[in-house]
Amino acid sequence: MSIKRKFGAGDVVIYLVMLFVCFITLYPMYYVFILSISDPVAAAGMKVYFWPKGLYFRAYSVLATDGRMWRAYGYTIFYVISNTVLVILTSITCAYPLTSKKLVGRKFVVAFLLIPMYFGGGLIPSFLLISKLGLYNTVWALIIPSCFNIWYIILTRTFFAGIPESLRESARIDGANNFSILARIYVPLSKPILAVVGIYTIVNVWNSWFPSMVYQPDTAIQPLQMYLRRVLIEQTVDLTKLTQAEAEAMARLKLSNNQLKYSMIIFTTLPVIFTYPFFQKYFVKGVMLGSLKG
Amino acid sequence: MKPINNKIEGKSGGNSELSRRKRKSGLVRENMELYAIMLPTLILIFIFCYIPIYGLLIAFQDYSPGMPFLSFSGNIKWVGLKHFTRFITGPFFNRIMWNTILLSFYNLLFGFWLPIIFALLLNEVRSLRFKKFTQTASYLPYFISAVVVAGMVLSFVRTDGLANNIVAALGGTRKAFNTDPKAFPAIYTITNVWKSFGFNSILYLSAITAIDPTLYESAYLDGATRFQSMWHITLPSIKPTIAIMLIMAVGSLLASNTDLILLLYSPATYPTADVIGTYVYRLGIQGGQFSYTTAIGLLASVINFIMVFAANKASDKIAGYSLW
Repeated sequence: MSIKRKFGAGDVVIYLVMLFVCFITLYPMYYVFILSISDPVAAAGMKVYFWPKGLYFRAYSVLATDGRMWRAYGYTIFYVISNTVLVILTSITCAYPLTSKKLVGRKFVVAFLLIPMYFGGGLIPSFLLISKLGLYNTVWALIIPSCFNIWYIILTRTFFAGIPESLRESARIDGANNFSILARIYVPLSKPILAVVGIYTIVNVWNSWFPSMVYQPDTAIQPLQMYLRRVLIEQTVDLTKLTQAEAEAMARLKLSNNQLKYSMIIFTTLPVIFTYPFFQKYFVKGVMLGSLKG
Repeated sequence: MKPINNKIEGKSGGNSELSRRKRKSGLVRENMELYAIMLPTLILIFIFCYIPIYGLLIAFQDYSPGMPFLSFSGNIKWVGLKHFTRFITGPFFNRIMWNTILLSFYNLLFGFWLPIIFALLLNEVRSLRFKKFTQTASYLPYFISAVVVAGMVLSFVRTDGLANNIVAALGGTRKAFNTDPKAFPAIYTITNVWKSFGFNSILYLSAITAIDPTLYESAYLDGATRFQSMWHITLPSIKPTIAIMLIMAVGSLLASNTDLILLLYSPATYPTADVIGTYVYRLGIQGGQFSYTTAIGLLASVINFIMVFAANKASDKIAGYSLW
């Protein structure tokens, strides 16, 4: 049987609470969006609440001329792609041998992986190491130290452990070595876990800024989030002075710095907002896989 | 593909001495292959995880850049616990420890229960479509970058920002919350909880879906109200998850969200916003006091470690759940 209660007062309360939750999670972004496309005069007074006043896309066409933003965008894409490829590669190659019963010293390798999850050297020793390795202020500082993730290695290993041992054994009898077993049997079978690892990495690298702030003083190689930080937090970049001609045009249009900032937020967050409903299931899967092992 | 050592299993009949030797060489070969596959990653882990641990030695030295972490030529100045005592007796010790603990405590106080209540209520929503929509909406803040979130929040709390517009509409007076030390803990806690409550509810929601539905049916037949079955079935069923999350939360009491604080704070709000992580960043990375800040970091992680251990013991004794 299934439970059929009447739609009562309790349901009304629950629905109202849930509507409130939706409102507080969605409204700030929505507010930024409507302000960015409102008429500059209304936007400057910040008197826009529920729907845009007027329709003005000029802020976006001004931003599109910002060379520094495009450059930072390019570097972010470079960091995201290289990190994702490398993290997937290191996760697979480190997880696969751990599933073999024949591996001598497996316990030591597992302990070697687990210790850094509980204890680390911290910010300063890592910083000194990066400097000593000559990675400081290069693009490699955002690639090599972050090209593996122990947590993902363990997730991948958990997934690999579910692949029947007999598959590997029969491949061995057919004369395959470990390299080809990994490449031709394990990798094709583990697309679900690779999707989880890949998408986690993409989102984390896309949103990360702290390593760049510590390791890359050179603004020319910094990712998009660092550029956003200069615009939104430090306010050392004045968007109203993008180019001389534009500055005059903007004075005429009364485009405020604030409206430009909000447009910048939308411009750089839109890819995430439009895609996350489709890949959220991988995050949910990652959390659940993690809790099984944790 | 070349056949390598596949003949071991096949022909065990003939010379047993030879086959044993072959099996042994097969095992060696197997292990060589396996280690070759994982060696690059293991080397990377050694370099980027283990060498920094070894680098903690500089907390007990007067280290200056260019010096080795450890050598026997005698050019290292060992200073014992000098940096630790300097920090503990220093003028900022109380402020930093207090801020760190207080901000984490607020976060625990408000951020810990909200995901549980949200998951419990969301589970009661009947319309599947509305449930899915609310869930997706609640994840949105998690996916927006900390920089953008902080940028939005800072613009909202300025005198002409959204938060002040609301305050003014309610009859209050406008205030520059972004430079007000008294407002910082609230701004930080609200931002942090807003950003993470939806995502933190995933674990509870998945624990709830694992509950046997026949429990609810028999409770319903016995006349239990919805609130009663929530209280007597759902909540006890997710108790282990709650206990483990609480252990981890208590264990990270000294590890506040340095990322977000670095973005939200300013010299004006240091009195309530400066925590261990931000202090280490400012004095270490920006100020070059490597030994001193390494000592602070080490002290914090040792205390953290002890607290996880203690919380785990306590949870094991009181509730019977533990991490290990």
